[in-house]
Amino acid sequence: MIRIEHLKKEYANITPLKDVNVEIRDGDVISVIGPSGTGKSTLLRCINLLEKPTAGKIWFDDQEITDPKCDINKVRQKMGMVFQSFNLFGHKTVIENIMLAPMVLLGRSKQEAYDTGMRLLRTVGLSEKALNYPDELSGGQKQRIAIARTLAMDPEVILLDEPTSALDPTMVGEVQAVIRDLAKTGKTLLIVTHEMNFARAICNRVFFMDEGGIYEDGSPEQIFDAPQREKTRRFVFRLKALELTVEGRGCDFPGMIGETAAYCIRNQIERILASRIQLVFEEVTQLLLAALDDPRIHAVCEYSEKTGVAEWTFLYNGPQLDVMASENDLALSVLKGMTEHAACSRLEGSEYSNQLKLTIRSPRS
Amino acid sequence: MLKRLFALVAVLLLLTGNAFAVAGAASEDDRQSGLTGSLSDMNGKRIGIPIGTNFDKIVENALPDARLSYYNSQSDLLEALSADKIDAFPSDEPVIRYIMGENSSVSYLPEYLDTFEFAYCFARTEHGRKLCGEFSEFLDRLAADGSLDALSDKWFSGDESEKTMPEPESLPATNGTLVMATDGDYMPFEYVRDGKVVGYDLDVAVQFCQEYGYGLKIELMSLDAVLFAVQSGKCDFGGSALTITPERMESVLFSSPNYHGGTVLAVLKNKALLSQGEADFWGRIKTSFSKTFVREDRWKLFVSGVRATLQITVLAVLFGTLLGFTAFMLCRNGNPAANLIARFCIWLVHGMPVVVLLMILYYIVFNSVAISGLAVAVIGFTLTFGAAVFGLLKIGVGAVENGQYEASYALGFSNRQTFFRIILPQALPLVLPAYQGEIVSLIKATAVVGYIAVQDLTRMGDIVRSRTYEAFFPLISITIIYFLLEELIGFLTGRISVGFNPRHRKPADILKGVKTDD
Repeated sequence: MIRIEHLKKEYANITPLKDVNVEIRDGDVISVIGPSGTGKSTLLRCINLLEKPTAGKIWFDDQEITDPKCDINKVRQKMGMVFQSFNLFGHKTVIENIMLAPMVLLGRSKQEAYDTGMRLLRTVGLSEKALNYPDELSGGQKQRIAIARTLAMDPEVILLDEPTSALDPTMVGEVQAVIRDLAKTGKTLLIVTHEMNFARAICNRVFFMDEGGIYEDGSPEQIFDAPQREKTRRFVFRLKALELTVEGRGCDFPGMIGETAAYCIRNQIERILASRIQLVFEEVTQLLLAALDDPRIHAVCEYSEKTGVAEWTFLYNGPQLDVMASENDLALSVLKGMTEHAACSRLEGSEYSNQLKLTIRSPRS
Repeated sequence: MLKRLFALVAVLLLLTGNAFAVAGAASEDDRQSGLTGSLSDMNGKRIGIPIGTNFDKIVENALPDARLSYYNSQSDLLEALSADKIDAFPSDEPVIRYIMGENSSVSYLPEYLDTFEFAYCFARTEHGRKLCGEFSEFLDRLAADGSLDALSDKWFSGDESEKTMPEPESLPATNGTLVMATDGDYMPFEYVRDGKVVGYDLDVAVQFCQEYGYGLKIELMSLDAVLFAVQSGKCDFGGSALTITPERMESVLFSSPNYHGGTVLAVLKNKALLSQGEADFWGRIKTSFSKTFVREDRWKLFVSGVRATLQITVLAVLFGTLLGFTAFMLCRNGNPAANLIARFCIWLVHGMPVVVLLMILYYIVFNSVAISGLAVAVIGFTLTFGAAVFGLLKIGVGAVENGQYEASYALGFSNRQTFFRIILPQALPLVLPAYQGEIVSLIKATAVVGYIAVQDLTRMGDIVRSRTYEAFFPLISITIIYFLLEELIGFLTGRISVGFNPRHRKPADILKGVKTDD
């Protein structure tokens, strides 16, 4: 239904989309997730050409809409869009907001437009508000009207750009309920959202966006339970990562301790867990520095906000060396006391030939 | 509405009280100024000078220490003299003699400041030279056979009823029609009586035209515009009690003089006399009222002034709105050339005082085109109003948030449909109050069109004042009329603006023609 090839969008100071290639099938309900600034909204806005792509081609129903000869206004009539900020027409009543486009663009009679409008208002539960002006409504009501307005054109695809982000938390539910009903009708939907539980509940496909494109494309089960790629995993499990590299014995060790402390504060890690994260780094690094001839260590700490668990991964060079089998008893007992799980493995053919994983949990959890 | 009317009445009462309090104060302050003596007593005193004349040079020569201040017309000078703002003002002897007949408190020092000659002026072109020759020949003949003296006797003394002259319209005009520039503000040389310009200069000019087979058309304008109008060729000649000076001779040609006279200083005889011999408060008001409106059907002057003011305002609003809107539509889609031109024009129009813009249009841009001052005024104000409308639209449309465009485009509306159906209806209610304000400003701004020979309300007030030598009634009258015009325009635009605000629709109208049985 929609095919995107080598889509690129470039602004003067930033390039949110570098190379997007994807095909959206009829009836797909797609959640677009990802960290902020990764071009989720830009992708949606490029699909109906609210943003003009810098390069690349987009087909909609076998018609190339990026072709300058294409009448984009006709195409947009078949692609609804729901905005974060609703954008209802302030000078028109609710029912007129819904009736205007079908009357002007599809040539419907006023009666037809009214009947359709009222039917849609009933499905979103707002038929009472037909003659109110938008500024007399709450945010949730406005967004439900905006969805009804989009549906009045009977579009083949609906693009929803963070439809609940501007809403008061108490109103998110009413809008999500309407979108959930919409997903069941078989219409093709693309939803940019930060509500992952909601996304998981309604969609059959997820785009995780990062690095200027669709970083991972899969079913909700794949993306949310078993992400295949590193950044997806970090995002879905809400992992916060810290990376440190130790090169030789003359490295700035106190500086790295400081970075670790700052990382804990930044991610609001509770105090006991934070001190354990720092201690584990100190002890392991000290042990490795003592044991290796030419130490090169790459340490990554990942903290999951979701589970409250931190995990240190140490990659280091040299012959096979299991730190947990060290002879330094004091250091070992400290490490064992603080870590829940430790595992050492050998990575052949890599720059860092050893890998040590240590899981740390707060004693309270 | 009622509140505003009340405020207006209060202001008028205050002004009335003030005007007569001045007269009262003068009568209490019974000081003998001792200004009956010679000219030299006036050295160091405050002297009022009419703008556009060479009196300042004459006074500076005779009284080097005099302190000069400048006034617009003879009638303003008289007001200033009565209000003790100046001690004296120079004028031509016949004018003062006429004023003395009207106002018993004014007199003049018999000593001449200077002697002078009045003449008609012509452009320094071939046409002007020919006309000037004919005029001089005619005037020399009249001077030789004594008929010029007879004419001056008729206009400078005697009964108003004897001061008759042939109608300029009755001239045969076999050799074409001449346009004469005059200020109509200098009795008895030229003044407006019964809605017609008459006077000594006019009488002589009509007789000349009669003899040489010309028709005559008279253009009224302020005195400082007369020389310019002649020089630029807008008018064929000027006759406005113009003194021959070397400086003026550099820019125009002068005919033989049609009048020889002396400049004298007008002073108050005695301040105490100012209010003496006049009737009581109501009697004075009645006289002033009758002088301002009833005598010689002067109310007709006000009516025609209102007509001119309204014509300019209404046409400038219509064309200006059209111009501003068209310019905005051309610039809307960011066409850089259109934007640059529009920005330049607005910079030009906004940066200039309106009166300067009008004079540039009248005397320079449309100099060689036969176009009336009224049309030029409409063009000038169309430009300024168009610039204002352009600015208002820019502000109003800019105030509509971007999301409205996006929502409209996303539904499939074209750029044009989006602008007219979504953006403009939301922008207009935002700027309509400012638009109404612009119209009211425009009405007031039209008061300067006297500079380009348009007889609007303000100019008619000047003309009446130059006849009655009273500032109060004409000024208050035109003030009230301006207020009423503003109220009228405000009411009309208020009605229209209701129609532009979608929020003012009735619920029944929104769903007109739809069955809503559910």
